[in-house]
Amino acid sequence: MHQATIDKTAKQKVVAICGNPNCGKTTIFNYITGLNQQVGNYPGVTVEKISGKFSHPSLPNQSIQLIDIPGTYSLSAFTPDEFIAASVLFGNFTKMDKPDVIIAIIDATNLERSLYFLLQVQQTGIPVVVGLNMSDLAAKKKIKIDRKKLSELLGGMPVVDLIGNRGIGVDELKEEAVHLLNSDLRTVDKYYSHETENAVEELIQLNPHEDRSRAHLLRIIFDAGGPAEEQFLQIEGEAGEKLLAEIRKKIIKEHSYLTHAETSVLTKKSEEIFNQVITKPDVADKTNTEKVDRYLLHPVLGPIILFGLMYFVFQSIFSWAEPFMGIIEQFFGMIASSVEGMMAEGPLRSLLTDGVIGGVGGVLVFIPQIVILFFFIAILEDSGYMPRAAFLVDRMFRWCGLSGKSFIPMLSSFACAIPGIMATRTIEDKKLRFITIMVAPLMTCSARLPVYAIMIAAFVPYKSYFGIANLQGLTLTLLYLLGIVVAVIVSFILKKTIFKTERGTFLMEMPSYKVPTAKSVLIRVYNRVKHFVVRAGTVIMAITIIIWALSYYPHQDGEALTAERTEEINQTIALSEMNIDKEFNSLTTAFSEAQIAEVSRLASAFTAVTSQEQLSSIADSMISLYPAYNEVISLYKSHEFTKLEASQALNNLPNEVAGTQIRSSYLGKAGKTIEPFFEPLGWDWKITVSVLASFPAREVIIAVLGTIYNLGSDIDEESTSLIDQMRQATWEDGEKAGMKVFSIPVAISIMVFFALCCQCGATLVTIKQETKHWGYPIGVFVYMTTLAYLGSFAAYQILTSVGL
Amino acid sequence: MTFLDKMQPGQSGKVVGFTDDNRVSRRLLELGVIPGRAIQYIRNAPLNDPMEIQVGHCCLSLRHAEASLITIELDE
Repeated sequence: MHQATIDKTAKQKVVAICGNPNCGKTTIFNYITGLNQQVGNYPGVTVEKISGKFSHPSLPNQSIQLIDIPGTYSLSAFTPDEFIAASVLFGNFTKMDKPDVIIAIIDATNLERSLYFLLQVQQTGIPVVVGLNMSDLAAKKKIKIDRKKLSELLGGMPVVDLIGNRGIGVDELKEEAVHLLNSDLRTVDKYYSHETENAVEELIQLNPHEDRSRAHLLRIIFDAGGPAEEQFLQIEGEAGEKLLAEIRKKIIKEHSYLTHAETSVLTKKSEEIFNQVITKPDVADKTNTEKVDRYLLHPVLGPIILFGLMYFVFQSIFSWAEPFMGIIEQFFGMIASSVEGMMAEGPLRSLLTDGVIGGVGGVLVFIPQIVILFFFIAILEDSGYMPRAAFLVDRMFRWCGLSGKSFIPMLSSFACAIPGIMATRTIEDKKLRFITIMVAPLMTCSARLPVYAIMIAAFVPYKSYFGIANLQGLTLTLLYLLGIVVAVIVSFILKKTIFKTERGTFLMEMPSYKVPTAKSVLIRVYNRVKHFVVRAGTVIMAITIIIWALSYYPHQDGEALTAERTEEINQTIALSEMNIDKEFNSLTTAFSEAQIAEVSRLASAFTAVTSQEQLSSIADSMISLYPAYNEVISLYKSHEFTKLEASQALNNLPNEVAGTQIRSSYLGKAGKTIEPFFEPLGWDWKITVSVLASFPAREVIIAVLGTIYNLGSDIDEESTSLIDQMRQATWEDGEKAGMKVFSIPVAISIMVFFALCCQCGATLVTIKQETKHWGYPIGVFVYMTTLAYLGSFAAYQILTSVGL
Repeated sequence: MTFLDKMQPGQSGKVVGFTDDNRVSRRLLELGVIPGRAIQYIRNAPLNDPMEIQVGHCCLSLRHAEASLITIELDE
């Protein structure tokens, strides 16, 4: 808003917001920044970084940057995710400024555990504001927290009561944070044991130039084998290694276990604070969460509800989106026809109507389905159901090499494999993590949805059973299941071969259920849709234009082609006329005049004939009545046959010309060359080309099909939807010439291919970033493409052999 | 004294300590499984693993293999 007036010389102030997972941190973040957010990656790594801006009247010409730090239970770090959270707070993160203020969000109903984390954060020395979230829930549970006392015991940190899902207290929190912006670093209480404090001192002495905060040094000391140690050893080399071993030895001598030197201090200290600030009833009340979990986590009901829920979501994606998609389709239809009306025929008009509008519009039609899918995913995540889903399926997932923890990344992969693959960072076991990464792209992501949607809408009959289940929804569910089943099999094989896993862990909090806030859900849906639209406007648009150009050039003049073909057809008719005159005379030399008159009368009956079938049946019955005229009638029949074919060819000429044009284009030639390889899958060259073009991004197939069928169809005819055009498409040549291209087996074959194939450049790049090795994305690409070809081959051959 | 994985769903007790010092025990501590606290074994997942426990006001899920690290004193 004040962009123009921002003082460029002043360093932008940075506030970091942190807290345990499920403490309602993101909701608060959304309240402070509104839609003023940016999703990106931390420089150099791929942990998603969400940052936003807000302003405050006391700093009129400045916006303050707010960074959302991944939720974590402690600053001790063993996974990449945890280390990033920690090192951002240490100001140890390259290319990112050290925060000026930290906002720590704390779950008031879970104060003691949060204190452990808060005490570690305090060790950074950065001024901290504490947001005591869910204070309404705490009040309901009759937990009373003495805010003043808490603030006092934490060395004067401001403490603010929050009800995050209603935005209450957020202003006060902002106020306190801004107030602290100009204050200095705090001196930190040194309540760790004597040995620990000595160790910290020795590490500072080792390299006084390196600016490491106390909190950071503690991580180097205590997280043996963790990323902080690894980084330290890289910088300090052997001297560092020796010193670290020495000081750890001293600590272990005193505390018997290394980590106890920290955990015992922190748990004791948090217990102390806790007991002084809290009054709560002794009896643990049976909460609503417990009551709900009695059903949702029931050994039999639980899984049934889980799968019922998934089924419901997929059904709704279909039925609710329908009317809105119609509106969008009409909208683009209107634009296309008005552009067509305004411009003269030529490459530019073709590019706009067939390429850009036909292609990108075809993809944007799926916005309603994306909205519904993300709406449900956001609700499931915000409500606290996701960890329960993981709990329910952990045992089922384990035998195949995955764990319930893999379930959450895999569920996210239903939206998009990229956040799903990134979400695997919470999996500590490396092998388990790699298996999950390698099978996550098999989950049905939202980019596959448009492909399924259009194929199902066009070729699977809309049949309803019992009023709730319909065949289309069932097909969609089966496709989702296909992805899951194949993922299970693949990970089982991976577990038995490449990644022989040891037993992983499954430590996870089961948060209380929360009613998701409209604001948080809407912001997430909005961000996702924005992402989708931007993709449609950039990547998909670019590919669409390339495909359009390849299928338009080299351009053959339509009028010249039409004239040429008309000439050819007329010549055929003239030749046939000439032929009949000659033959008639030679066949009827022996006929009497009455006979000739009779034959002519019979022949005139042919003129009213409109189809080849009619012609044959009339000719057959005449011959059986007048066997003597057999030859003459056959002659007339063949002549009428030629005329009939010619007039049909003339009627179909615009389509034929368009077909010839696209077949002779670069794309058409390439497609025809590789067609035989994909024919066993039931595909003609147009499908083949569309599928190949969609390797960079799946949604492209809709755009490409739209472009190819628009170009390959009669332009004067009222433009029909892609679905109608696909239904009408016929094979152009070969033994199937004239037969319909699309049938249920072909549609299924295409969908199976998309279910199993890794047609997503971005996913492959993400896998490379996460695994730090090109071998993994290449492996994923090869195995998935092979499976896709074999899968759709099998689907098509089996379905056609049973006569579908 | 017994181990968490040897308890029955519905039983409750007190956390005594851990049989080992590793990442798992550390994470358990951070999640609030602190010696001296009351602990309740709530339920098993379908097919009996993992399990859900309650420590303080917080519910956790963990596998039986991890639960075997935690020593418990059962309530009378």
